[in-house]
Amino acid sequence: MAVREAEPVETLQQVKEAGLDREDLLGMYRNMLITRAIEERGHILYKQGKIPGSFYTGRGNEGSAVGVATAMGANDVGTPLQRDMGVHVTRGVEPWRVFAQYMGRVDGPTKGRDGNVHMGDARLGLHTMVSHLPAMLPVAVGMALAFKIRDEKRVAVAWCGEGASARGDAHEGMNLAGVRRLPVVFVIDNNQWAYSTPSHLEYAVDHLADRAAGYGFDGVVVDGTDVLAVYREAKRAIEKAREGGGPTLIESVTLRMEGHAVHDDAFYVPKELFEEWARRDPIERFRSWLRDNAELTDDAEDEITSGVKRLLNDAIQRAEDSPLPDPSTVTDGVFAAADELETPHHR
Amino acid sequence: MPEKTYLQAISDSLRQEMRRDQRVFVLGEDVGVYGGAFKVTQGFQEEFGASRVLDMPLSETAIVAGATGAALMGMRPVAEMQFADFVSCAWDHLVTIAAKQHYRTGTPIPIVLRLPSGGGFSGGPFHSQNPESSFAHIPGLKVVCPATPEDAKGLLATAIEDPNPVLFFEHKHLYRRIRGDVPDERYTTSFGEARVHREGEDITVITWGAMVYTADEAAAKLAEEDVSVEVLDLRTLVPWDRDAVLASVERCSKALVLHEDTKTGGFGGEIAATIAEEAFEHLDAPVRRLAAPDSPVPFAPSLEKAFIPQVDVVAAALRELAAY
Amino acid sequence: MSTGTQVEVVMPQMGVSVSEGTITRWLKQAGESIALDEPLLEISTDKVDTEVPSPGEGVVSEIRVQEGETVEVGTVLATIAPAGAAVAEPEAPAAPPTEEEAPQEEATAEAEPERQPAAAAPVDPSEPVAEAPTPGAAPAASEPEGNGKMFVSPVVARIAAQHGVDPSVVTGTGQGGRVTKKDILAFIESGAAVEPAPEPAVEAAAQTVPPTPAAPAEPAPPTPPTPPAPAPSAAPPPQAPPRPAPEPVAAAAPLGGEVEEPMNAMRRGVAEHMRRSLDTSAHVTSAIEVDMSRVVAARERLKKDYQSSYGVNPTYLAFATKAAVETLKDWPWINGEIRGEKIVTRPWVNVGIAVALEDGKGLIVPVIRNAQDLNLLGIARAIGDLAERARTKKLMPDDVQGGTFTITNTGCFGTFHGTPIISQPQAGILGTYALVKRPWVVQDELGQDVIAIRPMMNVTLTYDHRLVDGAYAGGFLRDLRARLEGWAD
Repeated sequence: MAVREAEPVETLQQVKEAGLDREDLLGMYRNMLITRAIEERGHILYKQGKIPGSFYTGRGNEGSAVGVATAMGANDVGTPLQRDMGVHVTRGVEPWRVFAQYMGRVDGPTKGRDGNVHMGDARLGLHTMVSHLPAMLPVAVGMALAFKIRDEKRVAVAWCGEGASARGDAHEGMNLAGVRRLPVVFVIDNNQWAYSTPSHLEYAVDHLADRAAGYGFDGVVVDGTDVLAVYREAKRAIEKAREGGGPTLIESVTLRMEGHAVHDDAFYVPKELFEEWARRDPIERFRSWLRDNAELTDDAEDEITSGVKRLLNDAIQRAEDSPLPDPSTVTDGVFAAADELETPHHR
Repeated sequence: MPEKTYLQAISDSLRQEMRRDQRVFVLGEDVGVYGGAFKVTQGFQEEFGASRVLDMPLSETAIVAGATGAALMGMRPVAEMQFADFVSCAWDHLVTIAAKQHYRTGTPIPIVLRLPSGGGFSGGPFHSQNPESSFAHIPGLKVVCPATPEDAKGLLATAIEDPNPVLFFEHKHLYRRIRGDVPDERYTTSFGEARVHREGEDITVITWGAMVYTADEAAAKLAEEDVSVEVLDLRTLVPWDRDAVLASVERCSKALVLHEDTKTGGFGGEIAATIAEEAFEHLDAPVRRLAAPDSPVPFAPSLEKAFIPQVDVVAAALRELAAY
Repeated sequence: MSTGTQVEVVMPQMGVSVSEGTITRWLKQAGESIALDEPLLEISTDKVDTEVPSPGEGVVSEIRVQEGETVEVGTVLATIAPAGAAVAEPEAPAAPPTEEEAPQEEATAEAEPERQPAAAAPVDPSEPVAEAPTPGAAPAASEPEGNGKMFVSPVVARIAAQHGVDPSVVTGTGQGGRVTKKDILAFIESGAAVEPAPEPAVEAAAQTVPPTPAAPAEPAPPTPPTPPAPAPSAAPPPQAPPRPAPEPVAAAAPLGGEVEEPMNAMRRGVAEHMRRSLDTSAHVTSAIEVDMSRVVAARERLKKDYQSSYGVNPTYLAFATKAAVETLKDWPWINGEIRGEKIVTRPWVNVGIAVALEDGKGLIVPVIRNAQDLNLLGIARAIGDLAERARTKKLMPDDVQGGTFTITNTGCFGTFHGTPIISQPQAGILGTYALVKRPWVVQDELGQDVIAIRPMMNVTLTYDHRLVDGAYAGGFLRDLRARLEGWAD
């Protein structure tokens, strides 16, 4: 069966039907700007030697990440990956904590024990990724299993890239989710390149969403640069899962607009491809839609952008003020203590 | 006190935990309708329903990852690997996620992995292994290897209560061969406390799992020869009871470390090294290790007998130590 | 970020595995102003070429790494000063920032005591007892070797030390007659431990280690370089050391009468260095008798003048040192060392003069540097100076380092022979002994043998036979004797 290819969102009316008002829209726009700004500023800090290790960005994926995260409910959970900064931002991770994480400071979500986008905040329903993609995908399935056992109306969202979809974890997780009709939504960020390997060397189907049929649930392909279309499809999938309708596989197509990490200049990506997708920049696209459909004025835009700039300046300063972890704590937390199980976020 | 097999003790303990804690559930291959390959969960689905006794696809990765995700959501999953050998398929999820998540991000992963392990019945290379040392090496995982029915029950209850990933190695050869008194009421047995299986004064044998019985039989032979052997059952490898081992070795001054896992990189090396580091001046002989040779577990009975340390081999090693 | 202080621009890490980067181009020069995040330079790494944005705003106050240079990640490349701050002159590049200074600690490391293996005979991995069918090799005690040496297990060694028992007097029931823990405990319980040790054990012990305190001037390494010396007694120590004979390891009375005191750091250092030296070099000693008549005469001539003009005493040690330094020129290996697989010789002689400290508390070996450039007066003065500074604890770490040859003089006690231990990593040590008047066969003017009374001194050379052979050492001693016997000035 051919998967459904989602239509673009055209009018404010359609958006309202999808459950968003103007404030929501401006909030999404702001979150996309914050997402890009965090990564741009992080990129600079990295080149200034202030961020150790590697540095990954999700430029081009802001709309997809913000769109899905906006569709999630407050009690839903997810396992976002390194291109999904917009998920962290949308669910309320404060930018200064992201910078503290980048710099390995104690106020980062992992307190310096892990770096870059390996972060989460369980209180916000975000669980920390590992490097072995898509290992968190079947973990999210396990979260959905818990909801199913307890008969809770909560949904887990599992992210994965088109490259990682080739691994066995993805298959085992999706198969189990299909077998048990678990409340989980799979989002494949298809940005067309797995490090330097193009899609046609990663999978043989037309669309990764085609695989959903093999697991007995629905698949849909959506333009990942259209934040509103992503939102609409994610919302549908999440609510369907919440109501017992089982999983959905959303393939969100974008182009990774930078290298795999900062050390990679992506020379292997054709220049024309970059140029083509640059014209479809998700932020620019949403901005012009807002101007046409939601009365985004120059003044309103200025207010948003200057607010974002202030937020980021303060965030970097605050992160730099955060200390590096005390070396004597190196083995702290290898094992959990019994009382940690009763913390509110562990539910 | 009623007498029970090792297997019944495990089954009873699991049932008891599921009765007292709604968060505890079982997942694994053939654990439901069939009651588990070794029948540990027989009758569970009737009592607790199919939503708490989950037959899983043949997907070790999804079983361990699923348990991890459910634990993150506050459940207390008890996952069964049909054979401990198959945990290799889920290595990534134990080692990469479960073991490191709390350290990295502060979220406990209270999962128990039941691992029917060990050989002695021509199970061949893939149904007989004792992979405990591989996991004892990974910070963040706990490793439990009970030898007696009483300990199996108490340690499983402790494992389920523990806020960390626990690998619970059940020795298949003990399932139905070993019987012992097991209290009916619920109790827990602390991790990291060795048990003196047999008291002695001349040589300490440090071991765990099925080798406790091999050591005990060998010690009985040596007793006839007027050599008094102490058998120390570690019960858990992470954490392991260094104090008990060192105290016994300081008393006896001779030590034999015995395990069914292969020798190189086996956990016995850790114990022997610790004795050498911390009890050197109490030693009256080199610390000996006795373990399986460095090969896969062979199938043919003659080969398997040469692989798994036998009573007469242990007795011979003890004689050498006694004569030293 | 720009808080009014200088901001450093560092080489960024462009990827986990990247350890260095090359400056391809500076986009700003020193003195130019720059905005925050404005491109400052271009770098090239293994993985990528990129611009580095400025981490601060103001003026490029200093550029430390030039175009084309490759530096490690984290190296400071430039500094940005806040606008208006005083800027360093652009053309004055600072000294390269990461120039490494050679650590000055070598001599200390050399002198650092090395742990010796436990004093146990090597275990002989002989066959296990016959009835043992185990496939794995069995541990085995050593067989008795006939000379009383046998393996003593750690626990037996500890119990023996605690109770002052010589394990070799205990009857062993272990493999090959090894003394087991049970054996020694039974021995102690029986009360046998308080019996005096049997004679052979004493002898066995006596032959192994040279009698440390009995030869106070045998040199130690430049042990703990600071502080130099607690109340040294100048070259010849005034008192005999407290424990003249090597103590039997065995069965000394365990209780009353004995006094235990902790070893000080210097004593431990001496002990460990002595042991290490014996384990390192193949010690051989050759001796020669020297007729010192001419030296005595020369000394008599010079003494007054040296004392009145320079305040220096021309000691016999000074003569011997001067003669030895000159002789070493012709026998460079004795002034050399084995370094790894190489033989090292040098055109200079740094002579260490062994000085014993009071009460046998240690030895120190101050060094006369470049002794080959000094005349007799200079050497006598240097010896006097070092002795004085040793006495007043004013030796500096440098004063006890870098020796290439050592002289030890125990003549003040009347001793006429010794076998000192080489100060590592040197190849030789000269011993000088008491000057005594002895009947000596000389030739008269007619060529007839006659007996005369002559001031004689024995001189020994202890050398490392790995490097120096007996003939070579003999040649040195012969020439040295000739120099002393033919002293003319």
